[in-house]
Amino acid sequence: MDFILASVIDGLLLGFVYGVAAMGLTLIWGVMNVINLSHGPIIALGMFGVYLIFGAFSLNPYVAILIVAVLGLVLGVAIYYVAVQRVINAPHLSTLLATFSVNMIIIGLGTAIFSASPRNVEFSLGSLTLGPITLLGTRVVAAFAAMLVAGALYLFLYRTRYGRYIRAVANNRDAAELMGVPSNRILALSFGLGTMLAAIAGGLIATFFPFTILAGGAYELKSFVIGVLGGLGNPIGALFGGLILGVLEGIIPTFMPTTWVPVVEFLLFVLILLVRPQGLFGAKS
Amino acid sequence: MAVLEIRNVTSGYGEVQILWGVDISLEEGKLTSLVGANGAGKTTTMRTVMGLLKPWGGSIWFNGQDVSKLPANAMAEMGVVLVPEGRQLFTDMSVEENLIMGASPKRARDLVDTNLERVYTMFPRLKERRVQKSGTLSGGEQQMLAVARGIMANPIVLMIDELSLGLAPVLVLDLFETLRELKQTGLTMMLVEQNVQMALAVSDNAYVLAQGKVELQGPSRELARNEHVRSAYLGL
Repeated sequence: MDFILASVIDGLLLGFVYGVAAMGLTLIWGVMNVINLSHGPIIALGMFGVYLIFGAFSLNPYVAILIVAVLGLVLGVAIYYVAVQRVINAPHLSTLLATFSVNMIIIGLGTAIFSASPRNVEFSLGSLTLGPITLLGTRVVAAFAAMLVAGALYLFLYRTRYGRYIRAVANNRDAAELMGVPSNRILALSFGLGTMLAAIAGGLIATFFPFTILAGGAYELKSFVIGVLGGLGNPIGALFGGLILGVLEGIIPTFMPTTWVPVVEFLLFVLILLVRPQGLFGAKS
Repeated sequence: MAVLEIRNVTSGYGEVQILWGVDISLEEGKLTSLVGANGAGKTTTMRTVMGLLKPWGGSIWFNGQDVSKLPANAMAEMGVVLVPEGRQLFTDMSVEENLIMGASPKRARDLVDTNLERVYTMFPRLKERRVQKSGTLSGGEQQMLAVARGIMANPIVLMIDELSLGLAPVLVLDLFETLRELKQTGLTMMLVEQNVQMALAVSDNAYVLAQGKVELQGPSRELARNEHVRSAYLGL
């Protein structure tokens, strides 16, 4: 029983981080109906960003994540203007191909520069023991950081002018334009925020898991599952979706082989799409 | 003096030309109505002025400045505001958030509170429903909100596309009364309206569009007496 409790809590902690990654994917979808296939490689870039900054300047990894967040924002805005803007009104296949191209470019360059051998950030915060449960310090901090990020995103979207612009453009781009909102710039900002969240999630994961430049793919798929769970386009739903997936990942290995985790996850994915395509938390239809 | 001038504008969608050289001039503080049959180019005229469509030829002047190439957001920023056909509300947002979105242009931001009070006085119904999602409002309330959102932008020129479309007669009377009130504040307005009789009754000047050109123009009172207008548009 203790073992299961420990797995659940461990999964929850991880779930917060998954949630942040998924928030990035779902924010971009919700605002501009673009499925960002470069999501995974950007998560991986977040990992490498923390790895490199930590390695080169011995900065605290959490400070490094702040830098990575800013770089993620800038990178996302650049990707938007170079690759996404010109296909924003085109059929979905065009936006898929455009973001997939970015995916291939990042992975190609990343493999050439870093090779595909695993790296890890040599950093530890010890562990925390609560009765029968032992938790890794880095995971506890990552979960708190993820909560902060989710809270900040919420405040930004619902309490600031630019957050209101983002929601307005998501709801009705033409109307926003009529209200004087430069909608193209707002889309660029939204894409940047989406990639920033992906990079932050990557940076947090790097503090406790080893990774390669290809590591983002798995988290991208998880983001899809979570996004659908929480309702695509609903960033707050994504956080809850992340928690559900995290808990599942914690529990499943306690009664079946770990290799079954993705099987269960994707069964759930298909099931949700069949039964409740708007996600567990309502969101937009 | 003309606040906004449309000079020999041609425009359309894709390959299809709708406007074939339209000249319209909006006088300061006056309400100008644009009437004509479906497909005559009324909405296209407004969309072109607003910058939602690029003029193919001709030019648009606002306060002596050529604004032909400006996109819609820049026009709104300058004070040219469109209340679009079909309302185009932010349906996921509350009534009040829609109004605050209306005040997005820099020139309106500092006036949010004053203008909120103003539109709530004008439309008490909106005040009652300020926290309700705008998508759940009735058709009439949605049109009130669309107009109120336009006023929130603190416009110099307010263009309203199809004020009365699909609304109950009582509501239409209320909305036209609001137009009169707005006119008294000195606001320059352009109104596209299906209900020609109402449009001519409320406006100072009118243009009759037919097949993408101005067919007739003049003071509304005179046009209301014009034989052609009476038989073709008023059914008299």
